[in-house]
Amino acid sequence: MGTAGRGKAASVNIHSASLVADRLDVPTDRPAVRAAGVLALYALGFALTHGAASAWGGAGYYSLWFPAAGLRLALLWRMGAVWTLPLCAIELAVDFATGAVPMTGSDALIGWLGVVRPVLAYGGTVWLVRRLMPQDKTRGIAALAAPMPFAVASVAAPLIAALFTVPQAMLRGDLTGVVTAREIGLSIAAFTVGDVLGALLIAPPVLWVADRLSGRAHGPLPRPRPGPVAESIAALVLGAVAGETLGWLGLGSQSAPSLISVAWIGLRFGRVPAWFALLAVCAMLLPQTAGAMDTPARLQFHLGLASVVVAGYLAGSFHDAQRRARADLARRDRLLFQADRLKTLRAMSVAVIHEISQPLSTLAIEAKHLHELTVSADPETAATAALIDRKAAHLSDLVRRLRRYGGRAVDEPSALPLANLIESVGALAASEVQAAGARLAVTAPDPALAVMAQEVELAQAVVNLIRNAVQACGPDGEIALSANAEAGKAIILVTNRCAANAPAHAGMGVGTLVARAIVEAHGGRLTIVRDGADVRAVVTLPLIGAEA
Amino acid sequence: MSDAPVIYVVDDDRDLGASVARLLRRQGFAAEPFLDPAILLPVYADAPAHCIVTDVMMGDIDGFAFADRIRAVDPAAAIIFMTAWPTTANAVDSVRRYGGLDYLEKPIDEARLIAAVTEGVAWSIRRRAARDRTAKLTPRERQVLDLLAEGHPNKVVADRLGLSTKTVEDHRAAVLAKTGANGLAALIALARG
Repeated sequence: MGTAGRGKAASVNIHSASLVADRLDVPTDRPAVRAAGVLALYALGFALTHGAASAWGGAGYYSLWFPAAGLRLALLWRMGAVWTLPLCAIELAVDFATGAVPMTGSDALIGWLGVVRPVLAYGGTVWLVRRLMPQDKTRGIAALAAPMPFAVASVAAPLIAALFTVPQAMLRGDLTGVVTAREIGLSIAAFTVGDVLGALLIAPPVLWVADRLSGRAHGPLPRPRPGPVAESIAALVLGAVAGETLGWLGLGSQSAPSLISVAWIGLRFGRVPAWFALLAVCAMLLPQTAGAMDTPARLQFHLGLASVVVAGYLAGSFHDAQRRARADLARRDRLLFQADRLKTLRAMSVAVIHEISQPLSTLAIEAKHLHELTVSADPETAATAALIDRKAAHLSDLVRRLRRYGGRAVDEPSALPLANLIESVGALAASEVQAAGARLAVTAPDPALAVMAQEVELAQAVVNLIRNAVQACGPDGEIALSANAEAGKAIILVTNRCAANAPAHAGMGVGTLVARAIVEAHGGRLTIVRDGADVRAVVTLPLIGAEA
Repeated sequence: MSDAPVIYVVDDDRDLGASVARLLRRQGFAAEPFLDPAILLPVYADAPAHCIVTDVMMGDIDGFAFADRIRAVDPAAAIIFMTAWPTTANAVDSVRRYGGLDYLEKPIDEARLIAAVTEGVAWSIRRRAARDRTAKLTPRERQVLDLLAEGHPNKVVADRLGLSTKTVEDHRAAVLAKTGANGLAALIALARG
């Protein structure tokens, strides 16, 4: 393709970038401004959550429940570990502004380090988990499938951040009031508990909201089903009653029953119900531990709570990961089956074309001869002979065209210009559409647009959609076939408008299922949109560069 | 019609072979269908054709093997292949390795078939005439003709063959006389024909 084609592809990319910015509800498409917006939001959130956490503070640690950790983890997980240093700057700035850390003084530097340290630990953990658990390459293994890596990061980051505090506590423990080994241990435990609670309670909903806003997650909101809700509530109540009973028996505050309850909920129903169960447990317990309570008792309480939260969230994540792994396997099975069937179909069609072309050769030659012989015969005979000749010639043409498909190295996907695809599909479907009494309008797309595809299969998919449209409408249907590019994706559109008196055929036959399987095997999507009398089948495929 | 160009149509589909032969007869060729190359080969030397239209995929002898065996008997027959399983590799082979004039895909495009056969007949007639005229040459005269056709002057030809210039001139005169060619250009055409 020439330079004109390249220029076009570039402009498409710019367009798609601005589209993503629009979806993020950031009022501009410049990445720098968008980044500044995200950082400003983070600063605000950090200041608010930081302040809110102070109610659970104590000697030698900041808080036993630290929601800012959740914000930090969510941002690093979603945007990547490269945001570590900007976050360090933001947290320092907020701490300066609120006076949590002195800007100057003899030990100011150590104070600054204390602020930056956990951020570095979080960034490092996110980077490490992302590296060690590549999310796409190890599909099918539940322990590594999403959302397990995030769950692991949420537990590992607080632990690593806590370990990072050890050197300072050993050397300059006097700064934070921890001197003895016991105090250091208590401080680390408290730090871990606070961050674990914050990370696991805050990061998941923040990520969920971000995915929704950015369009990464779509579809209808999940509705709670009565069965699981009832079962979860029963498990929670049972756990709470058992815990209270143990306390009444004089065994102290016991978290084990609650832990079993949330693990049960997580394993049975997944992350979201588990998270709500954790929220319920925390909502019951956190207010009791705010304010006046002596540190060891509160720490013990929160340690129990942290183990409940970790167990519940890991269990829920495991359930989701397993479900995702199973769905992936099922999808691959379906694709394999489909590919196998297509291969058989293709072999069969090549054989059929050969068997047809042999007698058709004879038929076409003789029909033409008959036509020539009967030109001056009576009009009835002449018309019949002319018709036979024309049909035989048309059929010969069709067979030759079909054969050109089968002859290629069809198993290898290749760069396929949409214009070629639309043209051959139009030619293939024309006679069928005409025979049904419908009309087909084909709009040729920009010749620079191309997709990576197995031509025969993709053509089959689009022909199926047209066939479906014909069947849905019956005679007098108006079908339109076109293709274009939208936001970096190739769109193939089959639209049909039925006449007012058309019979109502429900059109989701085997053909559509095959088409959907083919499109999905090409990394695309097929959606059927009904809009009054219009039905649109929309095939979305990854677009490849014009020069490919 | 006795001196109409002879065309043999070989296809293991009896109806198609007959149909193509009848089509060619209507165009003024003396076309005969054959069901199997094995029937045609033993009798071919007695009745050579100008042009052979053959299927590629056949029973024991396929179209390419058949073409090789025809070439051995008669280098002056034009061969046209037709097939229901066209591949690019076969299309190239049929022309480059087997000296085919065309490679037709079934269902047959009639106009292209007739054009190819007409061209094949003309080529075959030219080639036969050239061979007839050079048939009477002695081996030495043939050597002289080949070297002259490559563009060498008499002196070079004489050096190459170890003859005197005078002898080469004599041979050249004999070649011109026997073939009826009237100059160097005609000689070159002959040597290549």
